[in-house]
Amino acid sequence: MVVRDKMKLLRLTTLVSVAVLVVLALFPLIGIPLSWLNYLFSFFIYLALANMWNLLAGYTGLICLCPAAFVGLAGYTMAIGTHVGVPFQVGLIAGAAVAALFALIISYPVFRMKGIYFAIGTLVLPEALKAWFNFWRPVGNEYQGMGAGYSVVGVAGITLGEKYWLALAIAAASIFVVHIILRARLGLGLTAIRDNENTAASSGVNIFRLKLSSFLIAAFIMGLAGAAYYIHVPSIQPKGGFNISWLLLPLMATVIGGEGSEEGPIIGAAIVTFLRFLLADYGAWSLFIQGIILVVVVVVMPQGIAGLLRRVGAYRFPQKLFQAAEGKIHKT
Amino acid sequence: MVVKVLCDTIQRSKKVTMSETAVLSIDGVSKSFGGIHAIQNITFGVRAGEVLGLMGPNGAGKTTLLNLIAGVYRPDSGRILFEGRDITRYPPHKICHLGIARTYQIPQPFTSLLVQDNLMVAAKYGNKRGDTLELDEILDLVDLLKQKDTIAGDLATVSLKRLELARALASNPTLILLDEVAAGSTEAELPRILDITKQVRKMGKTIILVEHVMKVMVEAVDRIIVIDKGEKIAEGTPGEVMEDEKVLAAYFG
Repeated sequence: MVVRDKMKLLRLTTLVSVAVLVVLALFPLIGIPLSWLNYLFSFFIYLALANMWNLLAGYTGLICLCPAAFVGLAGYTMAIGTHVGVPFQVGLIAGAAVAALFALIISYPVFRMKGIYFAIGTLVLPEALKAWFNFWRPVGNEYQGMGAGYSVVGVAGITLGEKYWLALAIAAASIFVVHIILRARLGLGLTAIRDNENTAASSGVNIFRLKLSSFLIAAFIMGLAGAAYYIHVPSIQPKGGFNISWLLLPLMATVIGGEGSEEGPIIGAAIVTFLRFLLADYGAWSLFIQGIILVVVVVVMPQGIAGLLRRVGAYRFPQKLFQAAEGKIHKT
Repeated sequence: MVVKVLCDTIQRSKKVTMSETAVLSIDGVSKSFGGIHAIQNITFGVRAGEVLGLMGPNGAGKTTLLNLIAGVYRPDSGRILFEGRDITRYPPHKICHLGIARTYQIPQPFTSLLVQDNLMVAAKYGNKRGDTLELDEILDLVDLLKQKDTIAGDLATVSLKRLELARALASNPTLILLDEVAAGSTEAELPRILDITKQVRKMGKTIILVEHVMKVMVEAVDRIIVIDKGEKIAEGTPGEVMEDEKVLAAYFG
């Protein structure tokens, strides 16, 4: 009986999520101001990144400090592709695939390191790639005598609405993927690894394979999000593509929202997007204020906003509402 | 005809020796960390269905030996055979798949998972030899059935010790390595722990038991191996071992 109740609740949650998705998808059609679409586009990109960062840090125990490598590689792959006649749609997927391939190549050395060593090991990767792309220029003319920047060709005709839909699809996919993983055997294994790697291994969990699965999934979707961003902002430089802010955004969103919870990155990404546009005019002060917020959150509510909401029982009311609604549906 | 009978006889005798030979054999295993010889040239076998006690003063190398069997460490030399297969260089998860489960001296639960999900990890990832197990039965055996929906991190130490055993059982092992299940228990709890150990044995599991609590050691095991400073110094029934001079010297100087 309890199980069936849970199932019903789940179905209603799905219904609500689909409804929200449909409403969001309608936004470009009903004449929402373009600036709003712009904000939401950023929100979706940050959300996808934060979701994947949460999958790694919150559910697998991998403090991965190299999202910038995945974003930059995917962006560069797509951008360079458009210069040799690869359509950007193919480039988008190819970029994500290259990000995943990079994750596969680095997995063997970085997975040999644990905890903080893994974090430091991954931190240097975007910096190394940044240096590499400063000099490497496979196609096109020299750019200020060196490698460096590329424009993304052939994306000028895409409307903001279309880009918005693309970002929405990627964000929705990232939520869906995490949702499925957590309810599958993989999620149980990943949580076990996060809680206690030794016990997981002695209970039969193939640590390397599971970490790799989650790492590859995260790299692929982060790559998608990165490439989608560079369709919107159609030029990429090493400094921007491999910028540390690609790490700070998902990290802040996840930590503020609540690491290791499904709703955490959603709440966090909304806050981070809001802050980013609110503080856009204040330059360096913006980073300072964001830093203070991060410190306060870590000290006051280590489980993030999602953890705080759970602790004060904020979910009880909507849950009751859901249950009541289910009861009515059941009766009719 | 005669040949066939002969063949049969040989085969039958082979079967007999098979069942008498060891499930697990440790063959001249050594392991050192830096300059410290933690385990030196240890050899012994564990027979199917027996409870083998592993005894020794603090720092003798008992836990290191369990870690070598479980694949946490690789021996510097020597071989470890399980059911005739050389598992010396196998990683921990593969050793679990083959049917060796272990508990930790200091409980190492999956703290954020429910008690039943702690077992579920071992059941879903560790049990590769068919036979679905009733996890509730295992929880009932170790008196944790009522707490199956509790988060493991909220359990008391005594319950955590039992959760270790339950998780080990959930991977459906043929051999269980128990590292001090009774340590930290009160005198009143000992009979129950002995009882649980006996029940596990009745399930047809072979057990290696590391234990400091003498009462458990003497009552639960068939055979004891005593190690001191990484070397095996005695082997025999509890009675024999207790009177061994080397053992007395190791414990009382």
